[in-house]
Amino acid sequence: MLAILRDLIRYNLEFRIGLFLVSIVVVMAALSVVSPYPAGDVYVVPPDLPPSTAHWLGTTSRGQDVFWQLTAAIRNTLFFGIMVAALSRVIALVVGLLAGYSGGWIDRVLMSINDTFIIIPLFPILILFYFVLRDSMSTPLLATIMACLGWAYDARLIRSVALSLKTREFTQTSIFSGMKTHEILAREHLPYVLPIVFSTTMNNMNWSIGIEVTLAVLGFTDINTPTIGGMIYWANQHTALVAGIWWWIAFPIGLVVMTFVGLFLLAVSMNEYIDPRSRLARMGGGR
Amino acid sequence: MSGAAEQAPVLQVRDLQAHFRTHYFGVNREVRAVDGVSFDVNRNEIYGLAGESSSGKTTLIKTIAGLLKPPLEMVGGSARFSFLPDWDAVGRAPPEVVRAIRWRHLSYIMQGSMNVLNPLRRIKHSFRDFAWRHLGGSKAEFDLRAAAHLERVKLDPSVLAAYPHELSGGMRQRVTIALATICKPEFIIADEPTTALDVVVQKDVLGMIRTIQQEMGSSVLFITHDMGVHAALTDRLGIMYAGRLVEDGETPEIFARPLHPYTRHLIGSLPRIGDTEQREGLEGTPPNLATPPPGCRFHPRCPLAMSVCTTTVPAMIETLSGHRVACHAVNPGMAA
Repeated sequence: MLAILRDLIRYNLEFRIGLFLVSIVVVMAALSVVSPYPAGDVYVVPPDLPPSTAHWLGTTSRGQDVFWQLTAAIRNTLFFGIMVAALSRVIALVVGLLAGYSGGWIDRVLMSINDTFIIIPLFPILILFYFVLRDSMSTPLLATIMACLGWAYDARLIRSVALSLKTREFTQTSIFSGMKTHEILAREHLPYVLPIVFSTTMNNMNWSIGIEVTLAVLGFTDINTPTIGGMIYWANQHTALVAGIWWWIAFPIGLVVMTFVGLFLLAVSMNEYIDPRSRLARMGGGR
Repeated sequence: MSGAAEQAPVLQVRDLQAHFRTHYFGVNREVRAVDGVSFDVNRNEIYGLAGESSSGKTTLIKTIAGLLKPPLEMVGGSARFSFLPDWDAVGRAPPEVVRAIRWRHLSYIMQGSMNVLNPLRRIKHSFRDFAWRHLGGSKAEFDLRAAAHLERVKLDPSVLAAYPHELSGGMRQRVTIALATICKPEFIIADEPTTALDVVVQKDVLGMIRTIQQEMGSSVLFITHDMGVHAALTDRLGIMYAGRLVEDGETPEIFARPLHPYTRHLIGSLPRIGDTEQREGLEGTPPNLATPPPGCRFHPRCPLAMSVCTTTVPAMIETLSGHRVACHAVNPGMAA
């Protein structure tokens, strides 16, 4: 594992940049623990101060320190992304492996459900959920809803791999030796699809963070929990750009863009690493 | 193997029929891949099955092992194992029973067994996955046992920690054989286990199969199209053609006195040292089993074909002691 990491850092520029960006984001999120101000409180510092040595990224019109507010916001946003990715990965793995391995009517039923989720227009559904749930809408609940809507593409991908694994001799031998279906899926097939799952996880986090920011900017989430989207929402509410409080909007956007680019680069380089041919070519052992 | 003859056979196959049945777009097709095969495999012997590609060898052993998946169906007959006396075929027993006997009593070395090992699992994990449940005991005990068993196939115990790609083809093959034999099964089905190996490794592996089989006293059903391997390894030999057994008997006897014209061609095709003549090939190809020729299925290619061959299926008759053959030219007037 460490050797893989070392190789990736040594030979892969995208991975280096991605790792650097994501590290900054993670450090920011970790700093939220030592924040001097409770993230939910307002008017704890003088409002509308530009970036200075006392307040590195300035203060908001609501009297919050942008830097410390940002640490709490990126923590919640990252946590949200990880939660959606983890939950949807579990659904995608179960559905994809089972459908591909079982075939027949199980495959047909699961894939019909799967394709239904693929074509459902996501955004209106999420807004609908917000209007129905309103006050009970919280970050974990939204994450669960998103996970239930965001697994379908990857389940299809995993199913395609499982379809080919099903016909391999080791699967036949596993069946012959008396292994049960769940054992074959967990022990023999899961290791095959994990690399694919790793790389789609990053993309899925990007996707879910993007949706969350969009919903939050429009005010369709729990706006009292500080998130990146939530910060932009409040800045818009206080017409920050018209009032010239650019730092209230610029820094959250900058940070979320860093998150996106960082995760994307990690996914791309991971993808390339999984394919041994491109990996060797990059390491100079290809030809 | 004279002593083995007194005991009851481990496997008795009687009139076994297995067909591939498909119905697509309103067209029913039935491919009679195995059609009325009968033979016995005795305790402590290696029974070879020979025949060209698509003669139904693999279908036959899949049926015997109960690996029936649509469209393959067992249509009739029986394949009874001595360790499964209550059921007349593995494929007809309930799944729990089948799960309990497989690997423990009946193991299977698959065709293309180079790929039996999951490339992403260490060898010891493959051992645990396949055999631990059948042997029981603690994990440490089992690993020791696996290491001891690997030594029997002349592999270092450190192989257990390796991934399959770190091993050579011959080593992988030996691991596969070790996997199939660790539970000391009474019956081992080996489907072309040495086809992908070069002759030196092949000789090694064949000797190993023989040694292990004799140590454990188990029976082996060995499938290959390579007559040379049959000559070197098997005790008795069955020749398949187009889904039917056409001849069986003790291997030296079959090589010395082949009766069926097809067997004669198979054996005649083997080169001998000092040969200068060009070997003669058999005209034609095996029949399409969806529409097999009536009567003896070999008659369109048979140099001895008579008019009775085109209409009547020849019976499998014990012509010489322990040597059965199904041919009108050898046993005139014996219809099945």
